[in-house]
Amino acid sequence: MSAPFKPHWNLLARLSIAVLGGGAGGALLALWGYWHTPYGQRLQEEVAQPVLFDHRHHVVDDLVDCRYCHFNVERGASAGIPSTQMCLNCHSQIWNKSPKLEPIRKSYFTGIPIEWVRVHQVPDFAYFNHSIHVKKGVGCVTCHGRVDEMPAVTKVASLQMAWCLDCHRNPAPQLRPPEEITSMTWAPPEDAAARTALAAELMKKYDVHSRVSCTTCHR
Amino acid sequence: MTPEAAAAATKGPLAEAPLILGHPTDRQLNDELLAPIFDPNANWKKAVGVAAAGTGLLAVGVVVTIARGIGMWGNNIPVGWGYGIINFVWWIGIGHAGTLISAILLLFQQKWRTSINRFAEAMTIFAVMQAGLFPLIHTGRPWFAIYWLFPYPNTMGIWPNFKSPLIWDVFAVSTYFTISLLFWFVGLVPDLAALRDSAKSKVHRIAYGIFALGWKGSSRHWQHYRIGYLILAALSTPLVLSVHSIVSFDFAVAQLPGWHTTIFPPYFVAGAVFSGFAMVLTLMIPARAVLHFEKVVTVRHLENMAKVMLVTGLIVSYGYGMENFMAWYGGSAYEAFLFFRTRTTGPYAPIYWTLIFCNVLVPQTFWFKKLRTNLAWLWIASILVNVGMWSERFVIIVVSLHRDFLPSSWGIYAPTWVDWSIYVGTLSFFSLLFLLFLRFVPSVAVAEVKELNHELHHQAGGHA
Amino acid sequence: MPSMKSLPVIQDPATKALPGHRPLWQSVEEVARRRGEFAAGAAEAPPELSRRSFLQILGASAAFAGLTACQPPRDKIVPYVQEPKEDRPGKRLHYATALSFEGYATGLVVAAAEGRPVKVEGNPAHPASLGASSAFDQAALLDLYDPGRAKGLWRKGQALGFRTFLSEVQKLSAAHEADGGARLSFLLAPDASPLLAEFRRRLQLRFPRATFRFWAPIADDHAQEGARLAFGRKLDLHARLERARVILALDSDFLATPGDSLRLTREFASRRQPGEEMSRLYVAEPAMTLTGAVADHRFRVGPAEVSPFASAVAAELGLGKRSAPAGSPLARAAKAVAADLSRNRGRSLVLVGPRQPASVHALAHALNSALGNAGETVVYTKPVLGDAAPSSAAITDLARDVEAGRVDTLVVTAWNPVYAAPAATDLGALLARVPNAIYHSLREDETSKACSWRVAAAHPFESWGDARGRDGTVSIVQPLIAPLYESVSTVDFLAAFLDEGDKGGLRHLQETWRARTGLDPATFDREWQRWLRQGIVAGTAESPVAAALAVPPAELTALDPPARPEGLEIAFAPDYSVWDGRFANNAWLQELPDPVTKVTWDNAAYLSAETARRLGVSEGQVVTLAVKGGSLSAPVKVMPGHADDCVTLPLGYGRADGGAVSKGVGVNAYRLRTTPGAWRVAGAAVTPGKGKHRFAVPQGHFAMEGRPLALDFASHEWAHGEGGGELEHLRGTPPTAQVPVDYSKPDYKWGMAVDLSRCTGCSACLVACQEENNIPVVGAEQVAKGRIMQWIRIDRYYSGPAADPQTISQPVMCQHCETAPCEYVCPVNATVHSDEGLNEMVYNRCVGTRYCSNNCPYKVRRFNFLNYRPEVAPVETLLMNPDVTVRSRGVMEKCTYCVQRIERARIEARVAGKKIEGLQSACQQACPAEAIVFGNLNDSGSKVARLHDDARRYDLLHELGTRPRTAYLARIRNPNPDLA
Repeated sequence: MSAPFKPHWNLLARLSIAVLGGGAGGALLALWGYWHTPYGQRLQEEVAQPVLFDHRHHVVDDLVDCRYCHFNVERGASAGIPSTQMCLNCHSQIWNKSPKLEPIRKSYFTGIPIEWVRVHQVPDFAYFNHSIHVKKGVGCVTCHGRVDEMPAVTKVASLQMAWCLDCHRNPAPQLRPPEEITSMTWAPPEDAAARTALAAELMKKYDVHSRVSCTTCHR
Repeated sequence: MTPEAAAAATKGPLAEAPLILGHPTDRQLNDELLAPIFDPNANWKKAVGVAAAGTGLLAVGVVVTIARGIGMWGNNIPVGWGYGIINFVWWIGIGHAGTLISAILLLFQQKWRTSINRFAEAMTIFAVMQAGLFPLIHTGRPWFAIYWLFPYPNTMGIWPNFKSPLIWDVFAVSTYFTISLLFWFVGLVPDLAALRDSAKSKVHRIAYGIFALGWKGSSRHWQHYRIGYLILAALSTPLVLSVHSIVSFDFAVAQLPGWHTTIFPPYFVAGAVFSGFAMVLTLMIPARAVLHFEKVVTVRHLENMAKVMLVTGLIVSYGYGMENFMAWYGGSAYEAFLFFRTRTTGPYAPIYWTLIFCNVLVPQTFWFKKLRTNLAWLWIASILVNVGMWSERFVIIVVSLHRDFLPSSWGIYAPTWVDWSIYVGTLSFFSLLFLLFLRFVPSVAVAEVKELNHELHHQAGGHA
Repeated sequence: MPSMKSLPVIQDPATKALPGHRPLWQSVEEVARRRGEFAAGAAEAPPELSRRSFLQILGASAAFAGLTACQPPRDKIVPYVQEPKEDRPGKRLHYATALSFEGYATGLVVAAAEGRPVKVEGNPAHPASLGASSAFDQAALLDLYDPGRAKGLWRKGQALGFRTFLSEVQKLSAAHEADGGARLSFLLAPDASPLLAEFRRRLQLRFPRATFRFWAPIADDHAQEGARLAFGRKLDLHARLERARVILALDSDFLATPGDSLRLTREFASRRQPGEEMSRLYVAEPAMTLTGAVADHRFRVGPAEVSPFASAVAAELGLGKRSAPAGSPLARAAKAVAADLSRNRGRSLVLVGPRQPASVHALAHALNSALGNAGETVVYTKPVLGDAAPSSAAITDLARDVEAGRVDTLVVTAWNPVYAAPAATDLGALLARVPNAIYHSLREDETSKACSWRVAAAHPFESWGDARGRDGTVSIVQPLIAPLYESVSTVDFLAAFLDEGDKGGLRHLQETWRARTGLDPATFDREWQRWLRQGIVAGTAESPVAAALAVPPAELTALDPPARPEGLEIAFAPDYSVWDGRFANNAWLQELPDPVTKVTWDNAAYLSAETARRLGVSEGQVVTLAVKGGSLSAPVKVMPGHADDCVTLPLGYGRADGGAVSKGVGVNAYRLRTTPGAWRVAGAAVTPGKGKHRFAVPQGHFAMEGRPLALDFASHEWAHGEGGGELEHLRGTPPTAQVPVDYSKPDYKWGMAVDLSRCTGCSACLVACQEENNIPVVGAEQVAKGRIMQWIRIDRYYSGPAADPQTISQPVMCQHCETAPCEYVCPVNATVHSDEGLNEMVYNRCVGTRYCSNNCPYKVRRFNFLNYRPEVAPVETLLMNPDVTVRSRGVMEKCTYCVQRIERARIEARVAGKKIEGLQSACQQACPAEAIVFGNLNDSGSKVARLHDDARRYDLLHELGTRPRTAYLARIRNPNPDLA
């Protein structure tokens, strides 16, 4: 009797095998890749904030130190988000008529806090602490990027566990002198020898014991 | 008097029963062995209906477990593992007959494997499918287990714990399933082609045609086929030993009395083959009658399986003996307490004694040819053995856990309706797959039987 | 999680709807200001904070903002409008306050995170706490956040605003003033508060003919009567256990004395080290108690046989002639005890429990003075409660008055009289007849149903007030949070009847104390701040009075003991979990295994195996107990060591309207308590019933099966053991396949030591742990299934004769093995070892295979089999410790050595460039016996390091080679050789 398939169907058979096999693998690969893309990590993602606050202006033009507003960064886990009062410390004097600042004044007079949208979000089961990092020589820019060049703050580091561990397993290259912690422009020495020397010196100076035990962050 | 009994009677007591009755032609074999597919048994639909209903139970059980949590099972502290793992080990064990028959007997060129290997392989695959379900659903958070158990470079910068036997399980079981499936399918190809060619309807022709992968039976095809089949056989031979050894490590590696036992790997493997053959018999004896395979699946086959069960049964019994000896000789108070008090007189003592009866005493009957060749007894015995093997897993897992080191933390374990429905569900799902197999795939390796038939014919001719 | 703004005022229609209710927190800065008032009360406050608390204070709300395609929503950050000066994100503030129990205060320090009290701790400066805290103290926090608390002020089912309430009360008072308050009656909870005493004085001035009665279901008026018999006046007895070498406790569970249990436990434990100075405790009691369990000799006697035994001892000491029949075991015991007592004149002590009649108390006073113990091991002061001492008769007197229609207005602050009143007096019906029955309570209960007025009481943590410890020391009670619900503090409530309800607790308090101290404003303010900061008013303790017997001892010994009752006797007992029933709605306490029987969520008719046999009843069988004027069906539970021919019934269960938690839990023993305050009722008939009851008991087995688990030695055995030779094979590092890690390098090597000689099994540590670590409650059914979640369990083992066994308690929590069996079996690395040797459990990595638990020889791991927090009211989320992850379903958990405290302390110390100091685990902090010690083993000076080198040190399941970091110190008993 006649065979149900003609020889040229073989091609179809081979193709379908390739598609099925490849498709499955490809899907997994894509899923895996997603978390390594800036989109998956939510980098450079513009976030609409209730107040059009511009870090560039405050940091570059007015030379306000990070720690003026983020008052808690050397003492607590959170860097501290400035209170309405703190905004008005200056803005009761300058730009106190500016419509851009209306939400601030409104918050102050109604007593209703401003609801900022979180940009750097770590899962609830991960306990991050700013003070210990700042005290041990990790600069703001290391994790938050050139905030002084950001009209609106965006995330520059993935904040994924692997990223944390990279530094915790080898902190030396990330350290900087105490006086440079909040500097946006400081860079380690060009020449390799000097760079390693400084790193080694800082490691000793700060007495850095970066920990990789799970309970350092997960409790 | 049945034909095979007659055949046996005419020859002397020492003469073996034949592997194939009479001298059927290829055409006859073809028609008879493919018959179930082209004119199915009237009751098939009913059977499928029952099995499908039972499979519904499985669905319910799994959904409830995932929706509400493991708390729906009987598990607790101290008994962290219950029916889930018992059934996992039991099913995996059953899965062992197939590979053993197909691979090892093939390499040893045992003629009698021929008419039962397809059957056994199918059973293996279906059993492993049941087994594979449990490790996943028994975890508290399956949605993470699915991908955290596999090693791949991830955003957490950490790997699974390669020291854990559970990780070894993941690899062992998945490998085993893949190889068995390939092995089974490759063996099927020539028969699928035969089906394609002898099919009446176009649908059948196309359907089987697709899976026959354009098999033409040319000598070139046969050559490649043989090589591929042997390679797969060689690949799966070590698996027969490795899979259940690794499963046994889940327990042997722990420090719990009743688990921490160096003899576990061999005796788990033996137990697996033991239960696997039992399951083949349980399925084969009725199937052979219903599908009229008496010609090719003769008492000789069944008797040989009984012999294998006797051997493995003895190995298992030796394992029990050794365990108890070590419990006494090792001098660990905790182990002695488990073996000589908890198991024998504890709340679960009946299950322990069931295990001893089914796994140690029942196989002893296979010393006697009369009983070996008595299909009724063979069938009952095979079922008893599987009950026994299930009890063995219960004793190992639950009994060891429920009374361990600190009496203050002793507890009791009672399965819930969810446990039961999942267990019964897997049995039904297994049957369902099997019924489908009987209906749509040649349950005897037709090509190989034909080949064997010729061999036997020649030998006979030679002597004449 | 509600935002900070919504935090203080719970979105509860009941409160919102109320017209003109008192000003609650309106906004964040007001919160700040209000807490500013008493910020100075803050003791040391850790400057470090956690991300989680940050989310809390900034009120991260899961608003679906910045939602992109398939991305999770972004949190909101809500900063203050104005920074409060004393508070920074995540900074923990500690406030000293006090909690009264049966009228006596225990000083506490409560830690608040972002204005939420999250942890109760003992106040080291307070004599009744000494830094420790009881299970009751710890559990108070759960009451505070209980969504089922009473809310609002109601009259005849109609809501009153606070102001309306005040004006209504004002009218009432004015009406009663006319006839001097003849038809006005007060039923008050016993309370030593000076402020309330002052209020009463003024109330009496205003309503000279009003009646003031003090009542509590459990009163010790026998003791007071006994003192009157002996000294001619009522006196408080204060034991000085640290001075006592021989203690005879006659049916006295002194380790559970209200208001004094912590101090007595500490003092008792301090004398349980092997050596010359080790104390010896004799206990004669019917049912096994905490005290009986730690006794060196426990005499199993029925409640009625205690008195003869006491007389026999007295006779041996030459007081009286009523000696026990010679040759009887009790006679032998009495002889030995008497000899021991007389050998230790001035160093011995005889204590009597409230269940014994006044005559026995009097006899004990006689013995103590005869033995020269007065002023040495026991001191007397004039009663701290004074006229506010509870009297059992109060309830019947009140009933009589109401019956006769002599009461128009009844003011009730006493706890739930309707439930706890004698069965005969149907108080419920009577109160319903009182035109104005005003009930002030923390919860809606049986009594609220009967009263026409219901006034929700503010929780002590929400109100101003003062209180006195059992030794008289005064503490200022300061609020830690504004009232969560529309409610009225006791001070404001009583002040309302002086037309000063709107003055505010703080002003009342300061005025009263300014008057009492007569200090000028400046000094007073300074003093006031000091009182708040220290939590005590120094020098206010009652000074001991010289107490001479008013009558010759012979007379006291001659007092006739009550006749031996006929038939079966029923003895009532306060319950270790719910006391008299007031804690019945507290899930932490309900699920707390009874320290003696390990039963959770239940009470039972406890009796001895012998009695059970004679009555033909079996464990769990429901029987009907009938006495004159009442009957009750209760499940039987056989208690090892229980006296024969008597039944012990714990009070406080079987609540009809006690709230959601207590519903259908246990049986109501008050139904058999036919006479007010009765401790015993004789002639009970027992009829076996059909039903079988299943108790939820987390412990599976009570015999050690000859395994070396909870070890104890008699002092003489120990002495011969030349410093623990017996234990050599149970310590040190056995050879293991694993290459041991060297943990001596890092700064810290965390370890724990548990001293079984000190541990009484009181279980305060369990609740402290539950509170600190956000441990869920699972309910009776799950407990019975073997799924209790508490990270610590206290194993209770019996040894010796089943009828009269010796007992030992052994707290078991994660042992943090250096070669941990749980770690290598976890497929996903969810439990691993830290560089400092902690056995870490990483919840967010766990997939829940439960393999670790199977392989844990100590079975200390706990699994979230179900979602044990199905629905959480917003107010309940405020209870959570922000430093500890709340575990989800399908995740394993276990004791972490309070790693959140370690990490908090570490960062704090490293930022300050110091080493970690004074770090305590939650269980250690709560333990009144100082039986649990946690610390750094690499600091050879640390207490825990010393204990690890102690001769009594051994490792649990040592031969397994797990190398536990938790060491046990064997218990030493001090039996009397004459009784050996």
